[in-house]
Amino acid sequence: MSREHRWEASLEHGGEPAELASEHGPPDTAHGRATEWVADHDTETRDSAAALGTRGGPGAWNAAEAGEPVALARPGFGDARWSFLYNRRDTEYAAAVPARGQVAAANRRMRDAPVSDVRGPIIHAPLWKWQVATYFWLGGMASGTAFVALACDAAGDHRSAAIARKVALGVVAPGPLLLIDDLGRPERFLNMTRIFKPRSPMNTGSWCLVAFSSSGALAVAADLVRRPKIARAAGALTAVLGSYLGSYTGVLLACTAVPVWGRSRTVLGPAFVATATATGAAATRLVLVASGLPSGHPTRRALGTIETASMLTELSISALGERRLGDAGDALSRGRPGLYFRTAKTLVAIGISLRLVARRTGPREHELASFMYLAAGLLFRFAWVYAGRESARDDAVVATTARDASTPPDGRGQVWQERALSSRRSPLPIPDVVRRAYGEAVRRTSLAVERRIRR
Amino acid sequence: MSTSVPDTEIAVHRAGAQRMGFFTDTSVCIGCKACEVACKQWNDLPADGSRSGKDVSYDHTGDLSGSTWRHVRFVELFEPSPLLKEEAQRALDAGAGGQLPAIPAAGTVDVAEAVGKMGDWVFMSDVCKHCTNAGCLDACPTGALIRTEHQTVVLQPDVCNGCGYCVPACPFGVVDRDPEDGRAGKCTLCYDRLEDGLEPACAKSCPTDSIQFGPHDELVELASRRVAELHSRGIGGAYLYGAGDEPEDQLAGGLGAFFLLTEPPERYGLPANADSPVQENVVPATVAAVGAGLLATAGVVLAFATAARRRRGTRAGASW
Repeated sequence: MSREHRWEASLEHGGEPAELASEHGPPDTAHGRATEWVADHDTETRDSAAALGTRGGPGAWNAAEAGEPVALARPGFGDARWSFLYNRRDTEYAAAVPARGQVAAANRRMRDAPVSDVRGPIIHAPLWKWQVATYFWLGGMASGTAFVALACDAAGDHRSAAIARKVALGVVAPGPLLLIDDLGRPERFLNMTRIFKPRSPMNTGSWCLVAFSSSGALAVAADLVRRPKIARAAGALTAVLGSYLGSYTGVLLACTAVPVWGRSRTVLGPAFVATATATGAAATRLVLVASGLPSGHPTRRALGTIETASMLTELSISALGERRLGDAGDALSRGRPGLYFRTAKTLVAIGISLRLVARRTGPREHELASFMYLAAGLLFRFAWVYAGRESARDDAVVATTARDASTPPDGRGQVWQERALSSRRSPLPIPDVVRRAYGEAVRRTSLAVERRIRR
Repeated sequence: MSTSVPDTEIAVHRAGAQRMGFFTDTSVCIGCKACEVACKQWNDLPADGSRSGKDVSYDHTGDLSGSTWRHVRFVELFEPSPLLKEEAQRALDAGAGGQLPAIPAAGTVDVAEAVGKMGDWVFMSDVCKHCTNAGCLDACPTGALIRTEHQTVVLQPDVCNGCGYCVPACPFGVVDRDPEDGRAGKCTLCYDRLEDGLEPACAKSCPTDSIQFGPHDELVELASRRVAELHSRGIGGAYLYGAGDEPEDQLAGGLGAFFLLTEPPERYGLPANADSPVQENVVPATVAAVGAGLLATAGVVLAFATAARRRRGTRAGASW
């Protein structure tokens, strides 16, 4: 039997799609995502059964003889060249010869031509939801707390430093769980560290999260077994790692085609660091107060000052950024993200007023202000994450942003050469064999975990 | 204009492999959607259900997605193209006359007026562009997205963990995460067929050869001649989207799958300029972010030092 026939026979043998559906059934995972998607696409009748093999598995069939070419195959893509109906000289399809520069000029002219009607969607909206926004908040808080721990040590307040290190670890701990929950295939979370890829902010961020958590855990462990030198050294390392953990989230958002994020590329990182510092200081301050740090202690005051100063910095950076955004800034001022943003700003204003009032009244108002800053930090993250969705759906803004992408005076061709980043070189002096073996080991572990969970 | 990706980015090496691509010529597309069906069949992709309504034209697919890797976009234009007007005028001049014989139901028809009210309809079979500077490939944290020996960008489904970062990183809105499957999905330029010496399913099925597959440089040469041919026939609006540009005008460094269009790109839902957002932004964003992070650390340490100094001899701390 020829391969073609065998293929058809196997299809016939497989029966009607309905039977296959009952045999394999739709995947029982991702049910929540599926229902949400169904809500805005009318797809209740969607049949997701695999025609060959099982869903998610390879659609495999056996070759008649190993190594034999497939029926209809033509070596060197002769198949493709043969299908060029119009490429032959007996048609007028492409008979003319273009003048020098004719095509490039036509391309430029039409791409610059005024257009009144934009038919979207141009880009897909990001999928990230509350898990990611909450992680941004917690990760930022952890890194801010790590800064505080380092500063406490430097100022000689080692008791507060030890507490801050515990707070940092406790706050960062739920982060990975939130991120795993946000994955389409949560059981494959290990693949995040399958390779080291400096040009992908999500990859470097994952590694940074691993390093930050490890070093934070080491510091806390050293505190517990009373090895202060190790604890301080690990704490300092955690703070340095925190300077990336608290800011890479901004880079992550900036490295997308979403107008409101991409245009804020130099604003997002600094703004996120400012929120991180404010929320980290606020969380540490509240824990320190609860743990009995006496009223009037310089650490309490320093933390309060840091909170307010960072929040004011965040507000001014945001204000500067919004001016450069133009129409893309609408995503931050309208709808749900706009509400989050305005509420966050109000909470900061209330916090600052409370701080002023507290000069007369006392510590209770200071504590209340810290809570306000924590809530404001969370809302800032939600505003930025959800603004991305709104922005990506605004086809007119996406189109304008693409048109405005200005050509640098030195010509983009040269810029590309410099920008190729890690794709041009190996990032670490690790033998290729080791790197590949490591990546393959992580991938296989990941798949084994998946199989175990599915069963 | 030859474009190529850095050798080190290519994950699969094979002697004699060259850049392969698609040339999609919208001027001969009839909107039959055979490519969509062929793609679904070959790649075993599920149906998406159908959408209908006021805003979605007769195009029930709507958009590229994790389970739709070819999509024929229907672009309805509410005024006749200049070419159509010209043709009608020529017909009128040739003696067809200003008035058609009276049609009982419609009365007398003024041909010039009728042509003026006519719409125009163009189709474009959209697909992954297999960019030279691929945003999805740059963004992918797991290495699921790779560059093959054909310089195409392929997603390895056994590695992808559905993080969703490639979705907003694509400036063309191609790749998407399938909500049921949980992984991202996009055109592979039929990598499996290419390995067996077959052309991709969509190109194979295209009845008018609107979708052409072949070595990239050959396609660019053919497409340029086609543009010149259309220009000589009076279709001055014909141009290539993603090939034949000056280096500074290239879209994402040059597209492996490029298009011949006759309307401005936004009418087809395409951006007028595009590049890998990661390559564009990662360096300035990281410098700003890490700089701010280190500054913040220093600021916190400084605030503590100031507070410790103020401790002596002041009573301002009383309220804290």
